Amino acid sequence: MDYTTYTGLFLPLLGFLFLLATSDFLGRKSTAIVGCGTVFFSFCCFSSLLISYINESLVQESFTLFHWIPIEGINADFTLHLDPLSLLMTLIITGVGFLIHLYSVGYMEHDPDVNRYFACLNFFIFAMLLLVLSGDLLLLFVGWEGVGLASYLLIGFWYEKPIAAAAAVKAFVVNRVGDLGFLLALLLTFHLFGTSNIAEITHRASIEFTLGAPIVTVLTLLYFIGAIGKSAQFPLHTWLADAMAGPTPVSALIHAATMVTAGVYLIVRLHELFVLAPTTLEIIGVIGGGTALFAALAALAQTELKKVLAYSTMSQLGFMFLACGIADFYGAMFHLTMHAFVKGLLFLAAGNVLHMAHEITDMREMGGLTKKLPKTHILFLIGALALSGIPPLAAFFSKDLVLEQEYLLGHYTLFYIGLAASICTGAYLTRAYCMTFLGPSHTPKKIYDAIKEAPMIMIFPMILLALLSIGGGFIGFASGHLSFLEEFLGQVGVTLADLSHRGESLFTPQTIQAISGAFTAVIATWALYTYFGGIPENKFKSLKYLLRNAFYIDAIYFFCITRPVRGISRLIANVLEPKIFEQSIGCTVDGIERTAQRLQYFQNGQIRSYTAWIVVGVVFTLIYITL
Amino acid sequence: MEAPLMIFISMAMFAIGILGVLTRRNALIFFLSIELMLNASNLLFVSFANDWGDITGLVWVFFVLVVAAAEAAVGLAITVNLFRSKEQVDVDQFNDLKGY
Amino acid sequence: MDWDENMIQWITGFILLLSSLGMIITKNPVHSCLSFLLSLLALATLYLELSASFIAVMQILVYAGAILVLFMFVIILFQDAYPKIEMVKARNCPVFLLGTGTAFILTLFSIGKKMVSLTPSETHLPKDFGTVETLGKALYLDFFFPFEAVILLFLVALIGSLYIGKKAT
Repeated sequence: MDYTTYTGLFLPLLGFLFLLATSDFLGRKSTAIVGCGTVFFSFCCFSSLLISYINESLVQESFTLFHWIPIEGINADFTLHLDPLSLLMTLIITGVGFLIHLYSVGYMEHDPDVNRYFACLNFFIFAMLLLVLSGDLLLLFVGWEGVGLASYLLIGFWYEKPIAAAAAVKAFVVNRVGDLGFLLALLLTFHLFGTSNIAEITHRASIEFTLGAPIVTVLTLLYFIGAIGKSAQFPLHTWLADAMAGPTPVSALIHAATMVTAGVYLIVRLHELFVLAPTTLEIIGVIGGGTALFAALAALAQTELKKVLAYSTMSQLGFMFLACGIADFYGAMFHLTMHAFVKGLLFLAAGNVLHMAHEITDMREMGGLTKKLPKTHILFLIGALALSGIPPLAAFFSKDLVLEQEYLLGHYTLFYIGLAASICTGAYLTRAYCMTFLGPSHTPKKIYDAIKEAPMIMIFPMILLALLSIGGGFIGFASGHLSFLEEFLGQVGVTLADLSHRGESLFTPQTIQAISGAFTAVIATWALYTYFGGIPENKFKSLKYLLRNAFYIDAIYFFCITRPVRGISRLIANVLEPKIFEQSIGCTVDGIERTAQRLQYFQNGQIRSYTAWIVVGVVFTLIYITL
Repeated sequence: MEAPLMIFISMAMFAIGILGVLTRRNALIFFLSIELMLNASNLLFVSFANDWGDITGLVWVFFVLVVAAAEAAVGLAITVNLFRSKEQVDVDQFNDLKGY
Repeated sequence: MDWDENMIQWITGFILLLSSLGMIITKNPVHSCLSFLLSLLALATLYLELSASFIAVMQILVYAGAILVLFMFVIILFQDAYPKIEMVKARNCPVFLLGTGTAFILTLFSIGKKMVSLTPSETHLPKDFGTVETLGKALYLDFFFPFEAVILLFLVALIGSLYIGKKAT
């Protein structure tokens, strides 16, 4: 068991090191084989672990590789923890990761730097696996920082483009702000528990602390701040839209399926801790719901295809946090899984369009691509419908579950916010589909003629993801009895919040509301953009700009935070450093030199003076002795 | 009454020797004053040996005498060499080892 | 008798101090040397009084007979250089030097005042204290190692002075 885990974990790391070492001379095909192969083997390892787990109903296990920091009060070990939650995450990571690796082979076929790309991708897989498999919070933080680093490396993959480099730095720095919360929480954890072993913490939390204890609220809030940074929630969300400057498979893997879900995973993993702090859960719910609606509104007015999908990711993550906020951790994980499939599919389809259309990203310059990209447009449509919440496609089940739980537990405001966000989801996705594929073509004729369908290696992963999007929902949903996923995750205590209404009628009033809302949104937007040609350019201009710039929050951050900080650093570098620090050192040096020069005159070579000074010393000694 | 008198004489001799070192510019008188200081300490040793009946004092005086003789010989040899090269006996002019 | 002994010591001490003062005051170095001779003789008398007969004789032989003669030879050798001293201005501030000397004298004074009340110890000196025999026994039996060390020192000094005093070739 443990060797399988270690193999699955460290194989991508070996792939990363190997690809780095051979990056100068390894050919394109070999790089692809090594890069995809490691992830595939990882996936096989974890699948076999899953099968053995189910068949033999193994207990959850922890393996300690070595004692990392055996200091009293910290006690951090390199511990890997294997339980249904981590197994689910590893399968998502390696499975979707493998499909995206395959896709990248086709996407990056003309890029000269393919070796570095696959090396960084493998490193990302390793870091993310470390994050989800670790049984120790300090080790989790190592993985956390690792995925941040991988994100930086991959967003800034085309580092010669200034936009990409700036976006990479922005992603890293904003993440860092969240990491400050995580670090403070870690320190507090060490102070409270004396260890960072997750199993031990969750076991002791309910014993040592009462419900609603302030210190637990502070602790969980700090962890949540870390999650906000990593999962791009308001107010640390500004990096996700800019991160679209990286290659599209990177956006699919990191900023849709895996890295941004690390925040949700953290909260679900520590759910026993969060259950003890109802205030934090409320805040999580509010922020999640707020971000969901805010991002959905912003996505309505975006003109770049990938930015629509970025804001959509932000919105869906808000949904997951909304679920966590009412202690519906199962709903969050279910939606995470479904979202990984669907968003991956959407991003890959968008990547197809961008790849073929030579990196035209603005949707206003696209259109009329149904004949040119037949398979892509069907797959995109499937993804869009799935995410909008059209039954029986995947995300309908997960979204509906979240909304239902909201209503059943009495959080009506959150329910309506979630419903509104859901309706907006349908609207903006349909809008994106219509503007990109339907209608007359706005692309220049030369580029338009050169567009053709993507090669099979790029289509095949998308087909798999599409199948998962269509049928995936049935893993987690069953009427009248526990679904497979529910039973699987229930073993670690990740359950629905409200267990009493299970098994009731399938179509509660809230479900009807959600379905009708989704249908209305999709059909209305489709009609708007097809028959009426969309909203004219000059109507609702200010509203459009407001939404497009995401309520100008980025600009506010720039003026209030970035510019003052830059000013201060300029002040220090140009004024403080040369004029004050160096001058003070210079003055001291000068003073000492001058004093030394004055003191030199004591050594005048005159014996009589020397003798006189000796006598002075003797006088003082005699006085000291005899007094 | 012996011991305090001897101590007083010895201290006076020592002080006179110090004054001689500090005052005279002639190098040879300089050396002579140093010998005077040595003699002062000799007197102190002898007087206390007499007072306590301990022969160690006299033994010590013996060694000081011997060492003073050796030091005078070597010191004068060096001084003669110095005078030959500098052609003068003023200690104030021997300041080549100054620090500036 | 008591008065006599102390009187001799008082007078000898007076002569001693006077000749030492004369030694550092006179300008002529030959006169200085002769004053030093007088102080050595007074010192030897004091030693005799303090029943250190061997040391007294040694003093005359070594100091007055060898060292002083050596000094006299060197003084006469460089007699032409002495008038030249006055011609050049002194390079040390005399105030500082004399001030230091005075401070030293005052310190010794203040220490000396505490010693006035010392009483002589009641030890009865053996009859042959300070004779050649006693001192010889002490040197050769108790203090043999320093004795040999000092002989070695003598040898080294001999060789050294011979070498240093060589004419430069």
